[in-house]
Amino acid sequence: MKKKSTKLRYWRRLCQIFCFFLFLFLFIKTDYSGENEIEYAVNILFRIDPFLAASASLATKTLVALMWPSLIFIGLTFFLGRFFCGWICPMGALLDSTHGSIPHVNQGYKTKYNSLKYYLLGFLLIAAFFGLPAAGYLDPFSILVRSMGLSLYPALNVLVTSFFTFTYQQMPEWVNMLTEPVYAFLRTTVLPFRQNYYELTFLSFFILLSIFALERLERRFFCRNVCPVGAFYAIIARFSLLRGKGGTKCGKCRNCMTVCRMGAIDEERHISPLDCNLCMDCVDMCPGNKIAFSWQPKTVATPAFGLSRRTFISSLAIGAALPFFLDTRTMAKRPDPFLIRPPGALPEDEFLGRCVRCGECMKVCIGNGLQPTFLSAGLEGIFSPRLQSRTGYCEYNCTLCGQVCPTGALTELTLAQKHATKIGNVFFDKNRCLPYAKGIPCIVCEEHCPTPDKAIQFREADVLNSKGEKVAVKQPYVVDERCVGCGICEAKCPLPGPSAVRVTSAGESRNPRNALPAQSQSLPY
Amino acid sequence: MDRRDFMKQVLLWSAGISTSIPSFRIGPELLAAEKVPPVVSHAKGKDYYALIGRVLEPLGGIGKFVKTGENVVIKPNMAWDRNPDQGANTHPFVVKALVEQCLEAGAKKIMVFDRTCNEQRRCYVNSGIQQAMESIKDKRLKYYHPDQRKFVPVNIERGKAVNRLEIYKDALEADTYINVPIAKHHSLIKLTLGLKNSMGVLGGNRGNMHHNLGQKLADLATVIRPKLTVIDATRILLRNGPQGGDLDDVKILDTVVASADPVACDAFATTLFDIRPDEIDSTVAAYKMGLGEMDLARMQIIQA
Repeated sequence: MKKKSTKLRYWRRLCQIFCFFLFLFLFIKTDYSGENEIEYAVNILFRIDPFLAASASLATKTLVALMWPSLIFIGLTFFLGRFFCGWICPMGALLDSTHGSIPHVNQGYKTKYNSLKYYLLGFLLIAAFFGLPAAGYLDPFSILVRSMGLSLYPALNVLVTSFFTFTYQQMPEWVNMLTEPVYAFLRTTVLPFRQNYYELTFLSFFILLSIFALERLERRFFCRNVCPVGAFYAIIARFSLLRGKGGTKCGKCRNCMTVCRMGAIDEERHISPLDCNLCMDCVDMCPGNKIAFSWQPKTVATPAFGLSRRTFISSLAIGAALPFFLDTRTMAKRPDPFLIRPPGALPEDEFLGRCVRCGECMKVCIGNGLQPTFLSAGLEGIFSPRLQSRTGYCEYNCTLCGQVCPTGALTELTLAQKHATKIGNVFFDKNRCLPYAKGIPCIVCEEHCPTPDKAIQFREADVLNSKGEKVAVKQPYVVDERCVGCGICEAKCPLPGPSAVRVTSAGESRNPRNALPAQSQSLPY
Repeated sequence: MDRRDFMKQVLLWSAGISTSIPSFRIGPELLAAEKVPPVVSHAKGKDYYALIGRVLEPLGGIGKFVKTGENVVIKPNMAWDRNPDQGANTHPFVVKALVEQCLEAGAKKIMVFDRTCNEQRRCYVNSGIQQAMESIKDKRLKYYHPDQRKFVPVNIERGKAVNRLEIYKDALEADTYINVPIAKHHSLIKLTLGLKNSMGVLGGNRGNMHHNLGQKLADLATVIRPKLTVIDATRILLRNGPQGGDLDDVKILDTVVASADPVACDAFATTLFDIRPDEIDSTVAAYKMGLGEMDLARMQIIQA
């Protein structure tokens, strides 16, 4: 491997750029395209993530078959070390791209925080096993895709649309002749089809922002010290074959040490495969051309992780103990009735165990109905998807969320299966519903109800309106056996403020304990 | 830049801000012109392309409505994520045939759009209308999703139940507006026909229209007045409207109805359901406002 080294470094950069744009492309393609099926493997970034695969498998005590592509990268890491972090990872590429603009406090070898990621990995995996799935909070791809989907992408659309709205409304015709085609082009290429609105946009954005803020301390702070995927790869990279070797009799320039983005090179110029992400900068920057990467025989000593046994065991112990506190909360006895999970969601424990909080389902939801949960599913449920039917609804003939879920937390449903999946049931608030409360005709809910035999029916009734006149109105009611809980009625209810018809999780197919009182055993769900 | 130049620039650049809300009104003089009994034409047949040509003949052909160089809006109903067989949206062949007629008549630009109820792209695709439009290779045809920026507030001066609505700019500015609804069941006003289809050019919270829907539709009809209404009754939805979903609720009639009088057109189409025109609130309200004829006896009904 003693090729001209500069070339490798540029190849690496090219590879990073390519992977990043591939990632962006797949992100944009996570959308309805005119077909009922999404044609690209838009969720591939999550399916090659061995840490998420391990977490989901441990949480559900089964091998999550959808995650098989992660095995490829585990295998490659046995040969190449943490090449993924240096060459493929879109988060790494983004952090690298900020290098010129953020000065780093520590320029050298790894700090004491380096072992934090192993403790975190241990904690997260053992906690997942015992029932506290938190992998998605620290997984770099979850953080990245989630904040892009929930905040950056919608914000980009606001920015661009406000600009072109301004030009459209305020500028003379000849300016519009130039700007409108640009806007049309952007809309058909990079912008989302419609403006989406999300909860927790700031929280998800600030989590991503903090990763960039930490760059101030050292280069790739997150990758060196926090990233559980990096930690997972580091453990495998301990046995990797392709390794860098520094010169033994060089001068005292320590150029390689300063230049190393991962802090992998120590005073003695040993390159630790646990941290090295094969960026090849040191090879290029060494004035004496003393550093080279080559296939090392097994004789090289395996490096130590440098962990404190006490801390590691404590982190495992906390991970194992914490989950038992979860079952002491009221929600263990009585879950939030407005927590409506997307169609195809597994039973709650298994669902949360698999859900990696990537936000793909919320990004793809064409009704803008899926929103990130805050605390209503507990500390372990933040960012998991729920249907918020007042802002959007579940489109009756759409099955996209189940298609993009990388872990199968949402089962991929056929259209027929989806039509027979009940995610909740609606209830009317007769104190607000116009035909009941004010004698005003309405039944917009009935008009929009999508089941072929409408779940929302009405009865004609003579009531007194606010003027005391007797008027005939149609008063809606729900047929539980037909309602699937899609929430279009709640979304379209013309009342300002809360809807007069609300979806609750009652009767959801995935939880028999939540059955509706009148349901018999012979229902289609 | 001197002072004069500066003032000129300021005036130019702020021209958009000073534009006030436009008012549209059908004057009584326009209404008085329609004392002659309106012609309502209907035709039946399996070939929907030929059907459109036939149904327009008694009305004087498309050339009577579309002149060379005009901007035309064709407004089908494609509000629902349903396929053509389910009878919730205007049949794509009917829309396509009309577009082709307008193209032949020499229209400068033909715009096809609807503000949908289900997700927009799914409605356009699954109604079959997007595919039908794609198959017409003519640059004069534009089919698109409404642009949020182009809904403009309009004062409804003659409105009895509503005095202000947000209406899509292209629909207001078109030389010729052709309304192409599908005839189907609707629980609140029994049937949704031409007047109801005009709701597809409204922005804002359309749910509010449903409180006193009949009168509000008539109010809307005072500003959105199609030169031609073509009601697609090739399939009519008898129950579970306006979106249906069950083929058992669909009745195949292979019929289209056309008229220059929007109220007369609705009134005649009502009879296809064995319902009297005076049972439909919107028809009655529009008739009372003098927007058209609803008495079948006072129409020239021609089977083409």
